[in-house]
Amino acid sequence: MAPAILVAEEHCHPHVLITSPCHWLAAELLEGPVEASCPRLKMAGLPHRVSPVPGLLLLCLLAPRFSPRSPLAAAELELVNATSSVPSMNETADSPLTCHSFQCAGERCYQDLAYANDTVACHNASFCELHRVTSANYTARCSSACGGVNGTEMCMANGSMRASPCALECCSSPLCLQLNATAYGDLPPTTTPAPTTTTTTTKAPPRNGKVCATFSCRGDGCFKGKKPAGRCIVGFNFCEMKKTGSSYVAGCSKACKTGKPVCAGGVATTCYQECCPAGPKASCLKLDGHVHVNGAGRRALAPILQLLAGGAVLILHYCVLAALQDNGAGGVGSSRPPREHPRAGASPALVLCGNGAAGKDLARRRQLGRRMDQSVAIQETLAEGETCLIAVQGVLVGVESVESRLLGLVRSHGEHAIFIYTHRRMAITAEDVCLETVLPIAEGFAVEEVTPDSDLRVIGSDVTVQIRSGDVGLLVRLPFGSQTRTFLQDVGQCCPARVMPVENANILGVWMGMELAQPPPVTAWVASPCQHAVWSPGLEKPPGVVGSEDIKQNEKNLAVNQSWSHDGVDKAALRQSKPKTEVTSEMVRSSTMMVSDKASLLSVKKFELRDTIVKSQLVQKEDSYTSIQNFRFFVGTYNVNGQSPRGSLQPWLSHDIEPPDIYCVGFQELDLSKEAFFFNDTPKEEEWFKAVTDSLHPGAKYAKVKLIRLVGIMLLLYVKADLAPNISEVEAETVGTGIMGRMGNKGGVAIRFKFHNTGVCVVNSHLAAHTEEYERRNQDFKDICSRMQFCQADPSLPPLTINKHDVILWLGDLNYRIEELDMEKVKKLVEEKAFLALYQHDQLKRQMDEKAVFEGFTEGEISFQPTYKYDTGCDDWDTSEKCRAPAWCDRILWKGKNITQLSYRSHMALKISDHKPVSSMFEIGAKVVNEELYRKAFEEIVRSLDKMENANIPSVTLSQREFFFKDVKYMQLQVEKLTIRNGQVPCQFEFISKPDEDTYCKEWLIANPCKGFLLPDSEMTVELEMFVNKSTATNLNSGEDKLEDILVLHLDRGKDYFLSVTGNYLPSCFGSPIHTLCYMRDPIQDMSAESIRELTLMPLLMNGEAFRGEKPLDIPKELWMMVDHLYRNASQQEDLFQQPGLRSEFEHIRDCLDKGMHDTLLGSNHSVAEALLLFLESLPEPVICYEFYALCLESASNYVLGRQIISRLPECHKNVFKYLMAFLRELLKNSGKNHLDTNILASIFGGLLLHPPPGQPKPDITEKRKAQQFIHQFLLREDNSP
Amino acid sequence: MAKQYDVLFRLLLIGDSGVGKTCLLCRFTDNEFHPSHISTIGVDFKMKTIEVDGIKVRIQIWDTAGQERYQTITKQYYRRAQGIFLVYDISSERSYQHIMKWASDVDEYAPDGVQKILIGNKADEEQKRQVGRDQGLQLAKEYGMDFYETSACTNLNIKESFTRLTELVLQAHKKELDGLRTYAADELNLAELEEEERKPDGAENSPKTCWC
Repeated sequence: MAPAILVAEEHCHPHVLITSPCHWLAAELLEGPVEASCPRLKMAGLPHRVSPVPGLLLLCLLAPRFSPRSPLAAAELELVNATSSVPSMNETADSPLTCHSFQCAGERCYQDLAYANDTVACHNASFCELHRVTSANYTARCSSACGGVNGTEMCMANGSMRASPCALECCSSPLCLQLNATAYGDLPPTTTPAPTTTTTTTKAPPRNGKVCATFSCRGDGCFKGKKPAGRCIVGFNFCEMKKTGSSYVAGCSKACKTGKPVCAGGVATTCYQECCPAGPKASCLKLDGHVHVNGAGRRALAPILQLLAGGAVLILHYCVLAALQDNGAGGVGSSRPPREHPRAGASPALVLCGNGAAGKDLARRRQLGRRMDQSVAIQETLAEGETCLIAVQGVLVGVESVESRLLGLVRSHGEHAIFIYTHRRMAITAEDVCLETVLPIAEGFAVEEVTPDSDLRVIGSDVTVQIRSGDVGLLVRLPFGSQTRTFLQDVGQCCPARVMPVENANILGVWMGMELAQPPPVTAWVASPCQHAVWSPGLEKPPGVVGSEDIKQNEKNLAVNQSWSHDGVDKAALRQSKPKTEVTSEMVRSSTMMVSDKASLLSVKKFELRDTIVKSQLVQKEDSYTSIQNFRFFVGTYNVNGQSPRGSLQPWLSHDIEPPDIYCVGFQELDLSKEAFFFNDTPKEEEWFKAVTDSLHPGAKYAKVKLIRLVGIMLLLYVKADLAPNISEVEAETVGTGIMGRMGNKGGVAIRFKFHNTGVCVVNSHLAAHTEEYERRNQDFKDICSRMQFCQADPSLPPLTINKHDVILWLGDLNYRIEELDMEKVKKLVEEKAFLALYQHDQLKRQMDEKAVFEGFTEGEISFQPTYKYDTGCDDWDTSEKCRAPAWCDRILWKGKNITQLSYRSHMALKISDHKPVSSMFEIGAKVVNEELYRKAFEEIVRSLDKMENANIPSVTLSQREFFFKDVKYMQLQVEKLTIRNGQVPCQFEFISKPDEDTYCKEWLIANPCKGFLLPDSEMTVELEMFVNKSTATNLNSGEDKLEDILVLHLDRGKDYFLSVTGNYLPSCFGSPIHTLCYMRDPIQDMSAESIRELTLMPLLMNGEAFRGEKPLDIPKELWMMVDHLYRNASQQEDLFQQPGLRSEFEHIRDCLDKGMHDTLLGSNHSVAEALLLFLESLPEPVICYEFYALCLESASNYVLGRQIISRLPECHKNVFKYLMAFLRELLKNSGKNHLDTNILASIFGGLLLHPPPGQPKPDITEKRKAQQFIHQFLLREDNSP
Repeated sequence: MAKQYDVLFRLLLIGDSGVGKTCLLCRFTDNEFHPSHISTIGVDFKMKTIEVDGIKVRIQIWDTAGQERYQTITKQYYRRAQGIFLVYDISSERSYQHIMKWASDVDEYAPDGVQKILIGNKADEEQKRQVGRDQGLQLAKEYGMDFYETSACTNLNIKESFTRLTELVLQAHKKELDGLRTYAADELNLAELEEEERKPDGAENSPKTCWC
């Protein structure tokens, strides 16, 4: 949220940690100009004078109270104080600074690359420093102050090198030392005035071919026109110019450091004037007096105004948001880092997109992967200053045809874009590619993976991504493999939307840093601050206390791999072994770039369904793999009345001989000052934390798990160091119930955690005061219970409340008093130690009896005198004016199973407060996981889930798998039935087409229905219909096609069934060509399959040539049969050719023709007439051959031409045509009887004799007319013989 | 709570009809064995979650019809597999001879880099053995495959062979998996299943569909 983190040190108001603009403005209001009291603020490169924004202030003052996070945020940021007093812009705040660390001898020996790997993690040091002891002795080390130690100063001053011990470089980001003599101006004495080369060093380091202007000078503008260029050492890929005071040092650089501020007005310490990627020919430094830091210069130039403006926007945003939010439910949401950051804040991380580590990394990859990369071709098309970092070939999805594109990630002056090219096959040179479009990687740019919903996603499949930039959106399928992955990662790193603003990056980085031994979590991006649960406050740790960052968030408590070491050296080693936070935060970023926020959440949800089942079953089976083991919990509460600790707390904290396993120590009224109230910031926190830590039981070593504080209410949790691995899922929250029901002067803080497998919640509360206010106290309790909500690691789960824990320990100044007894009576009962009698008047007891408060909680018997109110420093009852009656204000209660209170007592020895501390020792049974049993239970669940899943794969039973259609005849439907009976899972079935086939079955078959849905246990009958028509008959006659097919019945998300369909076809004259039939003297079904095949496949001959010694018939005998039958019997038949025949009679006629029962055609004239029409229709080549179709239409009204065409027909076709015409003319003679006329016959036969060739569109009305006209001519002419 | 699975693979069983592909699958996924032979006519699959090298792998195992007349169709399923079991029957010389044909089909239709493993099934039928163990080994060596003699009946080498093939597939995809381990979000993309569509309802009395 905060665009700035101001850190105050000694001179500032103690511990003013300004964590948000609200705090910041508020601080100014109270303290005056911040700069005045905080000299170091300047160093942080931040504006030093802030104009308060009137009207916002009151809101701001109140806002932190409303925000549940603000106290925590303060605690978190304390770390910054401990590790780095000048927080860098992009390093994470928690981790110790890592610096180069070595000593070397020899002139400029620090340039030796051998030293580059020697590093150390710094403690209490904020800088890395390269120190020159003598001109031939150097030390690189951590430093608490630049040049401050031993009074040394920077070596370069007034353009010359100091001879005395001095600092060559001092910087504050990890491994920031450049170790480059050129950059330091640490050059050998030479007679030439301008140091142009560094090759005189004893050992010339390898160069990388890049050059940078290299010089040092003093005075504003001294750099202008400086020409000398130095060649850079390998690894130094940037040029920079740094400014210290009025001195300038330019040279090669490893990276554009982000640890130092960019130069701007008011920045007094070392800052960056320029930094840019080095090139091979000339220095990229502009030396024009303006700030240029990787393209960010313009923004950096006017940072103050922008920061201010941004800050104001943020303030408004933050305050209004905070004010609106409730501490409870709303607070959870607000506690997450906002994903979409207001850009107005000019958050430094945004400015630095593409710089530093990412840029370096990309450059390196570029070098490595260049050879196989088509980026070379792209590079050749680019202008100077533009670099193609990586390229990948993909396919545009969504266009009609598949189009390949080359995608190149191009950097130009710090900005990035995706260039999209059309290209020739494998692009090798610029000529192979052509730029199509450019998608700038700027605001509004997003790459989102698109999951094909049709299929499972498996390893090895291509990645389809949606690339959006502004209004342009492209769907691109990228090939599977590392090139694609790298490309997308690189794009992700360049994408500004993914570069998290400082604060968030820190949070994630911290968290990642702690997770070192474990794979990063699925939900890295969704990670909210609630996952950085275990937090190191970065305070001085007393011996024996192990930093809590060593406690892992051990999921399932499996990671017990730390070696517990308590001395500094080992710890440093441990830290060093951690991945650099820079790297980890980068990892977090890159891990998320594939998926948009929305999509990521969605996939998490999808992904976790199975996990959720496993999880819930694991919970159900918990007893089978856990056993109860007892642990000792110390619970203490102390209202310290704003006092500072004096003397040891051991009488309270280490009363027993046996050291407890866990300490829960609560304080109230830690600090009564207004600062504490308004800013939730107090030095007492540290004082009491130290005091407690020092007084923990000396018999064991403890690790601090968590510290949480709300104004004066503080809760500390420690665990025995060796038990620390068993603590996980630590969360802490606060609820204020004070002024306005929200402020932190009253309320509660709580820490929840998992100890082994038991959920524990410890609450420390300070409830409303005053005897008569017991109902208010009851209400406070309820408020705390309802509003205290802890985030869960799994964001899809609802937040946890206090009551959702196995063990609840509640301590605090509950403020319940003793009622109905006057003071003297109370004191008398106390004196008599008649605590039981006194207890009967205790408000808490009475309220609990009435079930008005603490329902389900238990309190042990009170055997100690009231702990309130004493004169401070002694054991006398309150003698002040108010003269409060004694009361048991300070109490400890519990709720849960397997809890035994071992003791419950007060500690009179502590006299600093008007309260006495109370403690209780519990023996608590925790559910300890037996790893082996756990594993068994886990595997069992997985097995059963697999089984369940397999049982839920849709499955059906089929009545039949093989279908045989016997004696299939032309145009005779045969049906076989298939019954699909479903199993237990609703399923959708469909016959799917086989590869290389367009339909699910052959043309002569149909499944009806071909798809459907089946409920469990239901069944459906599918009819397989076999029907051979004219389009399939010919090939079946010839044997080219067979009645054989395999149907694939596919169940959605289930298996596939194969159905085999076969049959035998009885050949028919229907569908046979005219010329084939002319050669068939026998009925077709009396012929062998072989001769049918031969005759069917024979080419159409022009003249009636003999085939195998046989002259063909003039016309097919079957045609003659039908025509002759009609001629003899139907010349006078009314409505001939116009009334339909009977299907059964047709079948009979067909069989007669095919089997040769020639003597008679049974059936009505109409059936024979229809058979004739069907015969003509099913001819594979119409009577007037296809090739003459167009000609015929042209000569439709030219009889002479028409006759010429007919004369060109093959012999048998010509014969058939003439025969038919003669027959029709005969019919016309009887038109009085049969009602036929030329128009009717021409329209019927025009369409049958004249067909457009296959593949041409069906004849339209004009064509039909012409065909009729053509036939019409022949019907009118008596004699048309050629 | 550890994740349930990290990655999903498809494995395919091919080989002549009757060599015991379905039985191998049944034994592996359900630990069941049915001695009677019912031809698989179609393509069936089952899911199984196993852990290899600490990675939870969900494998989808496809069982195909072995009969020759279906081979033109079953071949089309090869391209979706990352691992293939070539199965023959040690009591059938013919099924062993046919492995060559199956292997060439795999070369033609399966994706590059598909992992293969040779299985001589029915190792319990020693008295009917027609193919020696050495022959199996020899063939596997020629093709550069691992070889197991298995018995679905006696549960010999079933888990081993499935685990081995899964390992091989994992190794072949090591690069992607390393990415997967590092970049958590990728896991989501790579391993997505259709649970959400297939809610586990009515699971108690679902039919057993293991024909062998």
